[in-house]
Amino acid sequence: MHDSQITRRRFVLTAVAASTVAVAPASWLPENIARADGTDDAALTRLARLLFPHAGLADTVYADVMEILFTTFESDPAKAQLLDTAASALDAQVNGNWFDADEDSQISAIRNIEGEVFFAAILAGVRGIFYYHPGVWAHIDYPGSSKEHGGYKHRGFNDIGWLPEGE
Amino acid sequence: MAKQYALDDASVVVVIGSGAGGGTVANELAQKGIDVVCLEAGSRLTLADVENNPPAMDAKMGWYDKRIGAFLWVCKTVGGTTMRWSGISPRLQEHEFRVLTSYGQIDAGTSLIDWPVTLEELAPYYDRAESKMGVSGTHGIPPSEESNNYKVFKAGALRAGYKQVTSERLAINPVARDGRPGCQQISFCHSGCAIGAKWSTLYTEIPKAERTGHFELRANSMAVRIEHDKTGKVTGVIYRDQGGELHEQKARAVCIAGNVVETARILLNSESALFPQGLANSSGQVGRNYMRHTFGSAIAVMPKPVNLHRGARQTGVLFDEQHHDPSRGFAGGYQLQAIGLNPHSISNSIGDWGTGHTEFMQNYTKLAALFITGEDPPEADNRISLHPTEKDANDLPVPVIEYRNHANTDAMRDHAIAASRRIYESLGATHFWGGDAPVGCHNMGVARMSADPKDGVTNRWGQAHDVPNVFVSDGSVFSSSGAGNPTLTIVALAIRQADHIAERMKRKML
Ligand SMILES: Cc1cc2nc3c(=O)[nH]c(=O)nc-3n(C[C@H](O)[C@H](O)[C@H](O)COP(=O)(O)OP(=O)(O)OC[C@H]3O[C@@H](n4cnc5c(N)ncnc54)[C@H](O)[C@@H]3O)c2cc1C
Ligand code: SF4
Repeated sequence: MHDSQITRRRFVLTAVAASTVAVAPASWLPENIARADGTDDAALTRLARLLFPHAGLADTVYADVMEILFTTFESDPAKAQLLDTAASALDAQVNGNWFDADEDSQISAIRNIEGEVFFAAILAGVRGIFYYHPGVWAHIDYPGSSKEHGGYKHRGFNDIGWLPEGE
Repeated sequence: MAKQYALDDASVVVVIGSGAGGGTVANELAQKGIDVVCLEAGSRLTLADVENNPPAMDAKMGWYDKRIGAFLWVCKTVGGTTMRWSGISPRLQEHEFRVLTSYGQIDAGTSLIDWPVTLEELAPYYDRAESKMGVSGTHGIPPSEESNNYKVFKAGALRAGYKQVTSERLAINPVARDGRPGCQQISFCHSGCAIGAKWSTLYTEIPKAERTGHFELRANSMAVRIEHDKTGKVTGVIYRDQGGELHEQKARAVCIAGNVVETARILLNSESALFPQGLANSSGQVGRNYMRHTFGSAIAVMPKPVNLHRGARQTGVLFDEQHHDPSRGFAGGYQLQAIGLNPHSISNSIGDWGTGHTEFMQNYTKLAALFITGEDPPEADNRISLHPTEKDANDLPVPVIEYRNHANTDAMRDHAIAASRRIYESLGATHFWGGDAPVGCHNMGVARMSADPKDGVTNRWGQAHDVPNVFVSDGSVFSSSGAGNPTLTIVALAIRQADHIAERMKRKML
């Protein structure tokens, strides 16, 4: 698994008391999210689940998606700060620790920052990884690549049986 | 077999771009024995490179040079965006060639003109284009097979009172034809067709041109500037090869087909003492009147499974709303077209997040979807220009794309979304979403054909008003957008243009 010393240092939880909430380092960002050893970070997983709440989809899938996002972002200087920024903005919205807030407050905090450029980038990133994730595909019955199976010509592209006939 | 021409061979026609327009005009010229060098910025893939993996294929064939402004989902690869396209191939309708006459000037911001070409004149070229591309339901080719998503679309449309719904007009072989197989319903058309059932110039026009012995494809060759002599006649094209080195290919005439934004950029970047506003731009119209159609999507959760991911991306067109009827509250008309999308594309269309959005995604197998394309009025201020200072990795000025939807477009989209809702709700849809589709796939205008040289950049042959040996061979020449997808018309115009060039050459006028 990709080792990310620099990012870990950047994301290390610092208990620095800042003068305003808006610039305080987010209290819930992980030092180490969803590594191969299974250490999930509950807050990022929670964020992903609130964005795309599929009932019955395992937390491990959400955690894996955020892990991939994290790795992608950290290798791109333009994006490396985005999660930091978003976390601080969410904390500011709830005047404290976003992760500790109740679900309604967590959601309205996200709604309040969804117009921000940094959040749009995160949302696009999560969406791109999430809806290409094999765990999500399995959950919603999307089978992916079809050319190795000869397409759907003989596998049900026209098998719908419930439409009104001859109206 | 494939030829090689010397850089100083001034007898060749240089074609810039190998997509729908460039690939067609190049092959048509080569078939007539005219020597052609085709400069293509992208590399040449084979069918074996095609994977059912959209992000991987985007990386192989997408256009990633820096642009500022509205997003365009176009390709940089041999075959251009015909590698990614869906293949829907309707003709423009009669009233759409005469928009100013039919609709009047909509308001002070619009710049409608009639085409200097009529449907009647273009009809024989539409015939040739349909036959070349193998359009289903034309020239003895059967209709395309009806997929689940199409059947829902059609049944709903009939219930909603519509009549003109068809699975014809798709440039995908329903059965084997022209050395290419019939569609296997693989359903990843937007990532390239792995078997070549869908028409793309990569495996039709380009190899056919090569077999004439009058054609050289130079891939990985980015045209940056067009050169001219003291009289203003064009003499050659400067291009950058893969290693970054610049060369000049001499030319007898140049056909530009870079897919609108790049076509405008090349013309504007070819400014000189003689042409201070850019080549062929004495009218100031190069880059202006950029159109991208009224776009929209509708997605519905149906009561039972549809499995819209199975089968060709797009099959099916509804024509009932394409006429002009001002009582609907907008000028021009639109088409609805069934479209099957993968989970990411569905999510991205809806754009939102949270429980409302995810209700659709959780019911992915029950989704039905359609795509809206409609007339987009030209406006001079919707335009491509060059950034005054910023350069891209090719040392070219970065193109700036300014585009906003006209109120006519918003009114038309609202109407189309309401129609779509009726279609799906007539079959008991439980959830419905309709909205904008903010991606530029259909690009038109920027070097439009005009009867009066003041109103446009090119004449009725796509030949520059200012410079007789410069031709524009892509959607840039559209005088207006019409409602339907543009490629069939691009191909028809390119065939017609090649005839015109050959005839001019014979008469020693080129
Ligand atoms: C997802 C999608 C679906 C679509 N579906 C349909 C459809 O169903 N029906 C329809 O009619 N249309 C459809 N289209 C649009 C269709 O793809 C275009 O209309 C068509 O490809 C345009 O042809 P073109 O020759 O202008 O440009 P392209 O096909 O894009 O070709 C332009 C070529 O020029 C090259 N080029 C650009 N600049 C330079 C330069 N400076 N030097 C050298 N080479 C250069 C590019 O690399 C490219 O290969 C779709 C498009 C997309 C993205
Ligand atoms: S659905 Fe047909 S045209 Fe589309 S990729 Fe598959 S085989 Fe090719």
